[in-house]
Amino acid sequence: MILLWLILWLLSGGLLAWLLSRWRAVWARWVSLFFTATYLASLVVIWILSPEAEEAGPGSWLIDLNLSWIPNLGINLHLALDGLGLLLLLLVGVLGVMTVATSWTGAQERTGFFHFNLLWILAALAGVFMAMDLVLFYLFWEMMLIPLYFLIGIWGYENRVYATLKFFIFTQAGGLLMLLSILGLYFAHGNNTGVYTFDYFQLLGNTVPLATAIWLMLGFFVAFAVKLPAVPVHTWLPDAHTQAPTAGSVDLAGLVLKAGAYGLLRFLVPLFPEAAGRIAPAAMILGVIGILYGAFQAYGQTDLKRMVAYTSVSHMGFVLLGVFAWNPLALQGAVVVMIAHGISTGALFILAGDIQERIHSRDLERMGGLWSTMPRMGAVGLLFALASLGLPGLGNFVGEFLVLLGAFQANVPIAVLATLAFVVSAVYSLAMIQRVFFGPNREGWDLPDASPREMGIWVVMVVLIVVLGLYPRPVLDTARPALEALQEYAAAGEHVEVEVGEASWLGSTAHGSWDTAVDGVDGGRP
Amino acid sequence: MVPASYYLILSAILFTVGAVGVLIRRNALVVFMSVEMMLNAANLTLLTYSRFLGDVQGQVFVLLVIAVAAAEVAVGLAIVVALFRHEATTDVDEANLLHG
Amino acid sequence: MEISLPTFDFLVVAPEIVVLITALLVMVVDMVIGREQKGRLAWVALVGVLAAGALSYYLWDGSDPALHDMLAADGYALFLNLAILVAAALAILFSLEYTGRVGLAQGEYYTLLLLSTAGMMLMAAAINLMTIFLALEILSISLYVLVGLNRAERRSAEAALKYFVLGAFASGFLLYGMALIYGQAGTTSLAGIRAAVQAGGEPSALLLVGLGLMIAGFGFKVALVPFQMWTPDVYQGAPTSVTAFMSVGAKVAGFAALGRVALYAFGDLQGDWRWVLAVLSALTMTVGNLAALRQANLKRMLAYSSIAHAGYALAGLAAGNAQGTSGLLFYLFAYAFMNAGAFAIIIAAGRFEGATGGGETLDDFAGLAARKPGLAVAMALFMLSLAGVPPLAGFLAKLYVFGAAVRGGLIWLAVFGVVNSVISAYYYLRVVVSMYMREGRPAAVPAPVCAGLQVGVALAAVAIVLLGLWPGPIVDLARVAALALLGG
Repeated sequence: MILLWLILWLLSGGLLAWLLSRWRAVWARWVSLFFTATYLASLVVIWILSPEAEEAGPGSWLIDLNLSWIPNLGINLHLALDGLGLLLLLLVGVLGVMTVATSWTGAQERTGFFHFNLLWILAALAGVFMAMDLVLFYLFWEMMLIPLYFLIGIWGYENRVYATLKFFIFTQAGGLLMLLSILGLYFAHGNNTGVYTFDYFQLLGNTVPLATAIWLMLGFFVAFAVKLPAVPVHTWLPDAHTQAPTAGSVDLAGLVLKAGAYGLLRFLVPLFPEAAGRIAPAAMILGVIGILYGAFQAYGQTDLKRMVAYTSVSHMGFVLLGVFAWNPLALQGAVVVMIAHGISTGALFILAGDIQERIHSRDLERMGGLWSTMPRMGAVGLLFALASLGLPGLGNFVGEFLVLLGAFQANVPIAVLATLAFVVSAVYSLAMIQRVFFGPNREGWDLPDASPREMGIWVVMVVLIVVLGLYPRPVLDTARPALEALQEYAAAGEHVEVEVGEASWLGSTAHGSWDTAVDGVDGGRP
Repeated sequence: MVPASYYLILSAILFTVGAVGVLIRRNALVVFMSVEMMLNAANLTLLTYSRFLGDVQGQVFVLLVIAVAAAEVAVGLAIVVALFRHEATTDVDEANLLHG
Repeated sequence: MEISLPTFDFLVVAPEIVVLITALLVMVVDMVIGREQKGRLAWVALVGVLAAGALSYYLWDGSDPALHDMLAADGYALFLNLAILVAAALAILFSLEYTGRVGLAQGEYYTLLLLSTAGMMLMAAAINLMTIFLALEILSISLYVLVGLNRAERRSAEAALKYFVLGAFASGFLLYGMALIYGQAGTTSLAGIRAAVQAGGEPSALLLVGLGLMIAGFGFKVALVPFQMWTPDVYQGAPTSVTAFMSVGAKVAGFAALGRVALYAFGDLQGDWRWVLAVLSALTMTVGNLAALRQANLKRMLAYSSIAHAGYALAGLAAGNAQGTSGLLFYLFAYAFMNAGAFAIIIAAGRFEGATGGGETLDDFAGLAARKPGLAVAMALFMLSLAGVPPLAGFLAKLYVFGAAVRGGLIWLAVFGVVNSVISAYYYLRVVVSMYMREGRPAAVPAPVCAGLQVGVALAAVAIVLLGLWPGPIVDLARVAALALLGG
């Protein structure tokens, strides 16, 4: 039941914040902070109490809850939690607290409704990361759109209505294609076995013919690729990010994009291993295109938030690459990238938000020389820019490095191309810092440096990204059993060995390679 | 005895004339008359079948239709009168306030 | 000669009789009460509708009694009765203040509303071509008058004329189709037609022509493309409370009869009509949605949206299986709440000062969230549900019918439906954008909203949330209802 309570807790927190704000707006902030903080705390407790990763066998689920919902249609209220889900829920908690904290002075209008939306996004995301019934998953998947839509549309910047519509239509289109695939899978599986169910575990190892499976898989792929976002369906993202209020950008970049990545990991490959194997090379190429294209675009932007948004496209390309390389190294890397990107990009968006709050502009042309007036924020910005470019010792490096190692096992040419990312990301990251903090202070800004509240946020984020970079083992240990289980699900559903590049697709789930994964990370320690 | 097909062909012709009349005539009263013709074509078909099948249901049906048609025309004329009060015309094309 | 009167089991048609008696009662009461007390007529009507609803529910014991091959009180009819009565009850609640404001004659208004409700219920219960035709005419003639009841407004009279001409035209098609079917099957009873179709082997051309004409006739009533051209004009011109009622009730009744004729009487000719309905369904949703995109008048936009929804619902029928049928029933039930609710908000918005568009244009909704947060939340729920966003009723309804279409092998139709849902999201969201993200005109002062309307809107909003989150009971009922039709 704890899983359901986690979601209901956030939902009721949102309602309470909205109600209380009728009397005092600030109560909405305190209520939201309380609910997100307790949510995070209970997850940490679950994490600590969960059995040691080494002892837990593959496929071991930490918590499972299966209630009947609409039995006639084979829809259950099935929530379950494994290491992968737990890590993402923790990320939801951390960034949840951060978004509440960072919008403490913002959102002066309709504060209650703002926090309502904020908490409902978090609740829907929590649902996405726990749902083990495809209809339930789709329900949460769509549910996060609506509050996000309001968040951007009401508290966003000048061009918000256009951005929200574009965002909504893109994700809605992807989502509905996924819904079609869910239905198709439901019936294909039902016709084969006589069991009509949307349950994830029963659909694993389905015997849908490859020709059908490819179509079904593509429906899922489009939905996840839009969220991820992969080129060429990324175009909604720069607009949505740029126009969103800081909290919206942080949630969007830090959490919502992860839902796409999570979907690929949890659903797409395990449900359709063979079909996924067929498109793996293409998907990996898309990943590399995303990495490079995002980086080049980022360099060319004059809008700070738009620039950070394009770096997201670049980073999430690594996740796509990692997932479709589908070997232990790459998968672990993908998970670490997801978390590191959540923290580092979240931090950069908070930075951009704080700067915008001070100078009322996101235009890079108007910035410059801000270091002299805000040295503390400059230092933080520099750190996260370094994280973004993949400096060893910070979280992003661990993830991207592992993904590349894994990709080399799967497909050398693609991996080589992806390696270029380290060069281009260095260029845009340093260019960003250069344009914002160094150079002449053209406009003669004299701004207050980070307040204690802002410093508090930064300290937490900095600690997290550094710890993730220097000692990623807890994260990897938590994710490993879940990833092993996913690989076994996929291997069990595979009928024919499909060759991808030089390494066999899904071929080896040898446990030895898992250890090298961790060693490889330790080796990367400076 | 006249074969059934004669009646059926006649009613089909009547129905077509009625349908075309609704579509191309502009005067509301003529349109109503065309509608009546469509209904009566159907009535003729029903009666033909009723006679040739030796089944009474068709005749019952026709009686019902005649009653309904009378009610319908009464309402229709009332509507025309209502519209006529706003605009002294019975041309259906003049009813053009509503458009996309 | 001895004449034996046929037995007449009143219980079978008790709900319909209750509604009819209430209609007569309203007429009588209207004559005896004073002018300033006319508002009470609504309560008489409401009590009658609720009583009929309760009767329908309690009649439902799975025994499926029938009245002389004419009317049946099977699960199918009783389920649809519930949907129709929901629409009627909501429409009455929405009319409380509106009828006075617009100056509709209340006695006639509620009498006609109840008469057409009775017609709709009879149509759901009809198992004979004769009763189908009679029920259709009862509901249509009442609606013709209702549409034109606002005598001060020329648009209302215009809408009535258009609705009348095209409605009568459609009746002609329907009747001619019935005549042909009667000739080929030798009976007007649906059970007899079913038996004749089963025995007949290869169907005769005239039988298929008859079925085609009937589909065209029903197509007019439920606004399927290419028989939809009257819809926007009529929905826009009619008094809004009437639009709320007819957009749901007439559609439910039309689908009820179409479902019975296609699935039951012609169930063995599925191969002949399924593809026709599938093509009509795809056309209907596409044309409806594309046209709705361009509308600035909300009533008109909802009219096109209702065309699109007829297309979605038809997909359930085209699926031709039990799941599609129960999906269609669930769809109609959910649709009753969300569509009627949306029109109710337009009624409320018409009272705002400075609502230059009569509460019907997007501009009138600008900034509604700040002025009337409750109404805005409800409207947002209705729009999102119509767009098919989970976890609301509209989503589950779409899931249900598209799922049935996939199961019935009509994957292309499901793809059409999904693409259309994306298109439709655009114009539904424009309303939400207008309410939440635009500033209202300062002159637009919100007026207090009538309590009855508030109750109705709240009920509808709660219903679509509940139907989305906890649809089990209604899904069960819909399945039983579908089996009553297909299993019989």
